[in-house]
Amino acid sequence: MLALLVIAAIFAPDALGHTSWSYVLPYATVLAIASLGQMLVVLQGGIDLSTPGVISAAGNLIAGIGAGANHNLPAAILVALGVGVLVGLVNGILVGVMRLNPLIVTLAVGQIVLAWSSKYSRDVVTNRPDVPAGLAHWATAKPLGISSVFWMGLAITIVVALVLRYTVTGRRFLAVGANPRGAWIAGLNVRTNVVLAYTAAGTLYAVGGVLLAGVRISIDPAFGSGYLLAPIAAVVIAGASLSGGLASATSTWVAALALTLLTQMLVIMGLSTAMQYIVFGIAIIAGMVVSGDRIAAALAWTTRLVTPPAHEAGTG
Amino acid sequence: MDRRKEAQMRRRRQMVAVLLFAAAATVALVAAASGTAGGRHSSAGVTGPSGWVGSGGTTIGSGGGYGESYTAPSPTLQHALFQANLLPSNKTARDISLAAYGRSTKTVNYTLALQCWKNNGCSTGTGGKYTVAYVEGFGENTYRQMSKMEFILDALTYPSIGKIIYRSAHSDLNQAIADFKSMIAQHVSAIVTYPDFGDAMLPVFQQATKAGIPVSTYAWGYVTGPGTNYTTVVGEDTCKLGKAFAGVMNTQVKSGNIAFLGGFPGNPLSTSWQKCEQAALNPNIKVVANEPTNWDPSKVQGIVSGILAKTPDLAGLSYEDALFMSQGGYAAYQAANIPYQGVFTYRTDEANMGCLADKLKDPKLKIYYYSAGNAQIRVALTADMMKLQGAKIPPTIVFPIQLQQQSKRSMCLKGYPPTASGTSLIPLSLLHKMYP
Repeated sequence: MLALLVIAAIFAPDALGHTSWSYVLPYATVLAIASLGQMLVVLQGGIDLSTPGVISAAGNLIAGIGAGANHNLPAAILVALGVGVLVGLVNGILVGVMRLNPLIVTLAVGQIVLAWSSKYSRDVVTNRPDVPAGLAHWATAKPLGISSVFWMGLAITIVVALVLRYTVTGRRFLAVGANPRGAWIAGLNVRTNVVLAYTAAGTLYAVGGVLLAGVRISIDPAFGSGYLLAPIAAVVIAGASLSGGLASATSTWVAALALTLLTQMLVIMGLSTAMQYIVFGIAIIAGMVVSGDRIAAALAWTTRLVTPPAHEAGTG
Repeated sequence: MDRRKEAQMRRRRQMVAVLLFAAAATVALVAAASGTAGGRHSSAGVTGPSGWVGSGGTTIGSGGGYGESYTAPSPTLQHALFQANLLPSNKTARDISLAAYGRSTKTVNYTLALQCWKNNGCSTGTGGKYTVAYVEGFGENTYRQMSKMEFILDALTYPSIGKIIYRSAHSDLNQAIADFKSMIAQHVSAIVTYPDFGDAMLPVFQQATKAGIPVSTYAWGYVTGPGTNYTTVVGEDTCKLGKAFAGVMNTQVKSGNIAFLGGFPGNPLSTSWQKCEQAALNPNIKVVANEPTNWDPSKVQGIVSGILAKTPDLAGLSYEDALFMSQGGYAAYQAANIPYQGVFTYRTDEANMGCLADKLKDPKLKIYYYSAGNAQIRVALTADMMKLQGAKIPPTIVFPIQLQQQSKRSMCLKGYPPTASGTSLIPLSLLHKMYP
């Protein structure tokens, strides 16, 4: 992230200006929240491809049930979140209890939700695409000069990080993800934790969908479609292993911010579309190469070279 | 032991709470869906004209042939083209256009049209020998869905058409080619398409033409070799559209920074008008950005935000889609806290942009627009049908350009869904059934 900021300061200083941040922060927050959901699933050695479906459904329900009236907003938000819980629960049961392949199952569930959302959008939202003004005003408000969406995202990230690190449920969750067999031998319920991961992820996607609806002001049939691979990219760049194990909510947030800033930077630099894709791809690979545990491993290796272990130093 | 029981109980309570929440959401979803379906049954047996007829006015054109009458009511032409005389200059092209628009007076079954639209195809019940297909590359936005209904309404005016087919590839080139090949394999009588992938569709166009199937495109869905590789392309001259945009920028902006937005990278529609607008701009106007948006409002918001970050004093912007600028574009201005002002030229005329401009009432917001041209698909189908009757169809059917000024003729037409184009010929009562 620091390297990206330095590059932006040199080649695209406008990317670090107020106007740019007014776009980057809310969109990075939505991506970060979706990525946090994905992170919980990846922690359990799974993967979730239902993200665009849930975000799309949540956004369309906000516009459809909200019907442009603020008094409908609480019901719309509750139903949108409920859909997230429901989809996550279904994914969790199919993967955690019935032991189906997460890649295929979540893709299939996501497609069903996306198809429903697309039909709902066509039937209901086309005629009233605007989200209730209350949500839009809240999303464009800037307490302390920074988007309220960002503050909400920050609060959610802190809660997720604290729950994972300092609560018994969180620690058990991490233990199951790091070593399911060991956790099972220790008496932890592996299946429940997998179901919990997918359910929490679905809920976070829905939260992301609600926030995105506020940022976007109005909804279209393609709403949320860009969130299939970006959350996975953010999680992986943040240093998580797709085979499960430890991951960091803070790193995931920073990775989401970096990806969004990079996209904006490439637009501001005025690169051709082909060049934007090339630079974006290289940046993701570079992000993975230098991420988290690899740097730690490289540092450890360097340290070993400089200071040989005691038993090696004493030989010969 | 007690602690374990307590923990088990807590987990159960949490699971029950989650299940209850999910069940409540399911009930709400079912209620939302059934609410949607509520109005569907009221349209049973309703019939009406296949297009916008209006009242008064004269009939334009004369004569006929190949099963067509080359006449149309002037209110219909004014509704779709702004002025009744904005017809193609080529006589045959003009006759085909008049025949297609003239079919708007023919009575069709709205219930059947609606079913056909919802089910992506239908049997018309006439027992006609022809099967016609609308093959889409992209598919699901309001513009394409309205084009589908225009296609169905025009098809229902032909007793010789017994079956209507619709296919959408959802932006997947391989699927689009497979859909096209499937239509050829089924020996459909005629195909109308919007070739989102440009010349990548050329081999299947040629294959259909060799098989004797007329293929026409609309909204200037240009693929190389109309007249030889396929029947005809219907639309406006997009180079002239670009020049018209430049004319507005030259007189309204005079000097300053402007930006271009386009659709999918390299698509022929965007490339054509952008090239011609750039060439016709006066030297004091600088194009600071030219970005593809994939016709995705989310992307529009990001790109406009990026342009505003670099050029906060942006004086003008040209783009195809007025709707997406009223959604993603407006959101970008709002987020950046920059007044939504400047000179904007658009190809389409969705009501949402007009209603937004009417609400803002800002004299510094100057909007000029053309027509979304949904009704052009009727001309493409009628050209195909005339070809089947042995008519010689010109390779291009080109409508003249006349930009409209929002402050003088608002896009915000009463009763129109926000995402709909006001120049569509779909009767308003049917439009309300499509989008209740």
